[in-house]
Amino acid sequence: MLELHRVSRIYKDGTRAIDNVSLKIAKGEFCVLLGPSGAGKSTLMGMINGLVLPTDGSVVLWGEELNKTNIKKFQRRVSMIHQQLHLVPRLSVLHNVLTGILPETPLWRTLFNIFPETNQRRACRLLEDVELEEKHIHRRAMALSGGQQQRVAIARAFMSHPSIVLADEPVASLDPNISRNVLSLLKRTATQREATVLCSLHQIEFALEFADRIIGLRQGQLVFDGPPKALNEKALKELYGSEKIPKIQEEKTIIADADFVPALQAA
Amino acid sequence: MSNVSEPFMNQPTERYASDSWQLHKTITPKLIAILLLCTVVIGWSAHNTEMDRAALENIQAVGALMGIGDSKVVSGATGFVRKAFPFVIASKTETERLVTFDPKQLPLFTHLKTIKEREYDALTDSYSEVEVEYLVHPFGYLIKVLVKMWETLEMAFWGTLFSIMISLPLGILSARNYSPNKVVYSGARGLLGFHRSMPELIIALFFVLMYGFGPIAGIFALSVHTSGVLGKFFADEIENAPTGPQDALRTSGAGKLKVLRYAVLPQVLPQYVAYTQYIFERNIRTATVLGLVGAGGIGMELKGRWDLFDYDHVATILLIIFITVMLLELVSQKLRARTM
Repeated sequence: MLELHRVSRIYKDGTRAIDNVSLKIAKGEFCVLLGPSGAGKSTLMGMINGLVLPTDGSVVLWGEELNKTNIKKFQRRVSMIHQQLHLVPRLSVLHNVLTGILPETPLWRTLFNIFPETNQRRACRLLEDVELEEKHIHRRAMALSGGQQQRVAIARAFMSHPSIVLADEPVASLDPNISRNVLSLLKRTATQREATVLCSLHQIEFALEFADRIIGLRQGQLVFDGPPKALNEKALKELYGSEKIPKIQEEKTIIADADFVPALQAA
Repeated sequence: MSNVSEPFMNQPTERYASDSWQLHKTITPKLIAILLLCTVVIGWSAHNTEMDRAALENIQAVGALMGIGDSKVVSGATGFVRKAFPFVIASKTETERLVTFDPKQLPLFTHLKTIKEREYDALTDSYSEVEVEYLVHPFGYLIKVLVKMWETLEMAFWGTLFSIMISLPLGILSARNYSPNKVVYSGARGLLGFHRSMPELIIALFFVLMYGFGPIAGIFALSVHTSGVLGKFFADEIENAPTGPQDALRTSGAGKLKVLRYAVLPQVLPQYVAYTQYIFERNIRTATVLGLVGAGGIGMELKGRWDLFDYDHVATILLIIFITVMLLELVSQKLRARTM
């Protein structure tokens, strides 16, 4: 359903953000993108979402090539979960989830803030699926904790019946226990709705735990593609370079910053 | 104690090249010239604006207060104060002028009062005493002023309401990121600037010509001017709203208006409400003045009484304005404390 044919994205200064990558992702797969900072993970996701157009090659969704004119059509079937959440802070939790369905809602309804009951019910069910309780749904998004907000973002992403969900470092700003919880909720929600997930992570242990398939990028090139089992020391070395292999975290270690790669570990 | 004759005790004694360097001088011929020029310009401007006369009058006034000589300033002020007290609270009307008057059925709270008045007869050049009967309402004038004050508040309310109605669409059109194109953007910005640049009193003059005396002119004048202020503020707020949530909604395929409604408006609204509250307060203060040009409100009553030298009535009006503005300040402070 999602195919990348030899796509490249070369910036004007000659930087190859994505270099000749070909991929085929099947329906319902939970793929994790791994790679050091600047490997091109975000660019790759942007290409599938139509935010970044490939300078070379083609992105094919459901047998149709993505181009400037049909982006809007596909954007409704591809949702995105951002690292910085991008919830609307002063809007209620329920309405934040409902904004996921704005394109399908008639303009007059959105202007007067009258969402159909069926949609509201759907939003509530999604919120229940990501384990948020009724007492939270009328609170402002900014009143929630980081983990709760990311769960709201997941619910919002699934509101529009997406076939593909792109998650760009969804747990980068959360502590490990909450990260595990958020990722398992993401996986469960996606499986229930048969959605394909492409999720970039920087914690290898989460990739091993949750992924059906791991895709490794390094300097814009595809260097690993296979099941978690196949990700051995050698593959990791190739992915992160000979020196910079992020240490597989022990429980309760907190990494606050996405771009922070722990000190080198000799192989 | 250091040796006074050797100020550079710890320094080597040989010549330094830096001894001939140019040092910083504060007072230079250029500075003196500039200061002189400024003095001349300020002096000329002071003469233009009669600041010299003001100084003279003030000195005379201080002298007069201490009992030396006379002062126009002091006599003007005492002239007003002497007539202003006591305030007029009651209203009285000659019963002869009342069309329907029944002495057996007086209106509520009123009573009759007969006052002896001297009447001048120009033919015989003599005075005669006449008894005139008045219907006195003990706080009739106070009520009249309060009604006028209420009308002023209403003017401010409607002025603010129309101002919001004008500024919301114009504000959106003059926000760079939500304006449909450059022409509309410049047009809307220009219109807002035009609205802002016209003082209420001057617009009110035109509206009085168009709609006649009364609150309509005042309300329109207020809404035109303040919509310019409010609209620019709204546009700037929209432009500065955080872009993250907007991008998130846009990439999910939502259109411009929907993004504006759900990602911008909720973020901008609190500041907009706070600003509207400020504009409303300002409108009340301005509305009290607008009556001076006949645009309705308490100012019209003030102007009328002032022109008739009824300073005792003027004092009542001023007192009511003062109390209203104070109360307003109090209420809005309470409100602000709650919303913040």
